[in-house]
Amino acid sequence: MTKHDPALIGAALAGAERALNQAIRLAPTSHRELEGLVGTRLGMEISSFDLTLFVEIVTGPEVRLMNHCEAPTAAFVRGSIEDFASLATSDDPAAVLINSGIELEGSSASLITLQQVISRIEIDWEAPLVDALGDVVGHQIAETIRGIFRWGEGARISLTRQLSEYLLEEGKLTPPQTELDHFFDAVQSVSMRVERAQHKVAKLLAKAADRRTGQ
Amino acid sequence: MKEDIADNADDGTTDFGFTRVNREAKAHLVRDVFDSVASRYDLMNDLMSGGVHRFWKRFTIELSGVRPGQTVLDIAGGTGDLAAKFSRLVGSEGRVILADINAAMLEVGRDRLIDTGAAGNVDVVQADAQALPFEDNSIDCITIAFGLRNVTDKDMALRSMLRVLRPGGRLLVLEFSKPVSPLLGKIYDQYSFQILPAMGRWIAQDADSYRYLAESIRQHPDQETLLGMMANAGFVDSQYHNMTGGIVAVHQGFKA
Ligand SMILES: C[S@@+](CC[C@H](N)C(=O)[O-])C[C@H]1O[C@@H](n2cnc3c(N)ncnc32)[C@H](O)[C@@H]1O
Repeated sequence: MTKHDPALIGAALAGAERALNQAIRLAPTSHRELEGLVGTRLGMEISSFDLTLFVEIVTGPEVRLMNHCEAPTAAFVRGSIEDFASLATSDDPAAVLINSGIELEGSSASLITLQQVISRIEIDWEAPLVDALGDVVGHQIAETIRGIFRWGEGARISLTRQLSEYLLEEGKLTPPQTELDHFFDAVQSVSMRVERAQHKVAKLLAKAADRRTGQ
Repeated sequence: MKEDIADNADDGTTDFGFTRVNREAKAHLVRDVFDSVASRYDLMNDLMSGGVHRFWKRFTIELSGVRPGQTVLDIAGGTGDLAAKFSRLVGSEGRVILADINAAMLEVGRDRLIDTGAAGNVDVVQADAQALPFEDNSIDCITIAFGLRNVTDKDMALRSMLRVLRPGGRLLVLEFSKPVSPLLGKIYDQYSFQILPAMGRWIAQDADSYRYLAESIRQHPDQETLLGMMANAGFVDSQYHNMTGGIVAVHQGFKA
């Protein structure tokens, strides 16, 4: 496991996982290829960030991204972020595995299949992160509450954006300044939103009361 | 914090947030809190933590290492967040028990499990963490998320969990803990004692329950104290991981 804050890594992984799975659902061919990999686990260590991640193909098929995994992996790869970037985008992953600085333990077969699937699908990284959070009640007050929810989603996006900075900063401060700033902003933003929402609800209620007396 | 601050067997009182109450009264008061928040619990959870509770839970699930075919108990499982995830991981051969002392929370949980299609391998059981109604050595993994601080006798609960775990089985305690940096601690205090009850007042019309939640978080044993309590109860190879700067920690221990 990595020394980074698991909640922060988890936020990034959850977003990435949703983006990947959405893309997989939309691509029936990749669906079939992944089906054959269900149950396979791969590990990767990104040395530039001192970050270890795991991918597991689960029934669906879907990918599951993890920060920690005790179960055995079919393949484990180690390399810099540049190595992984060239692997992910390459038309010839086998060649990248041989020629780049990537170290491989285990078998390359499942890794290459996964690479081929991922390099072909079109991944929308933004959308799954800003999904609205389901329906609460179908009227205007619910809309207001959803506004607050969207703030939660927005915070998650900025969390992911901050992740790379955060990872580079790690080791200097615990918890890093960016996280403290973020938390502080979040606290202020919630209090402001609650205030505004309260105001809005009061206005809506007053309006509803007016309408009732007007009838 | 020492456990004797939270619990005092001599005068028969225990903490309820920052108030001291009779030990039996605590169970009732805690029940009232969760009766009153049950229907809005999930919404509040998202709002209170800015959605971060999902990532705390996500990591807890990764640590669990739960595999198909296993039996998992999520005690103080409330509205079934973790149970729903475990249900997928254990598959049709496995079994998940969603247990909680509070019927109202379990009812919301049961409905949600049905909605998400996870009900097939999940049993919903009303149970007290201090006296688990399960056989000895019957469970592969136990999780208790944001639940231990509400339990009157935490040592008794830990012993009860150890009893039902099979040898080699794992306990995961996800709970609020002590922020590692004093600055974070200060911001967090402001958040818990001012903003939390305000949100509770507005959304759940129940500032008192959320004030209790904030206070109970502060009364809960810190990282090292809980680690010691787990060792006392008989867990081995115990360790913890801080998350979000120690606002939350997940403790892990095994039955030998
Ligand atoms: C804050 S909620 C956590 C729910 C859920 N685990 C989650 O993380 O969202 C705490 C739960 O602990 C339950 N609880 C309190 N005392 C308990 C006890 N002695 N035994 C079992 N559950 C208890 C409450 O009823 C409540 O549902």
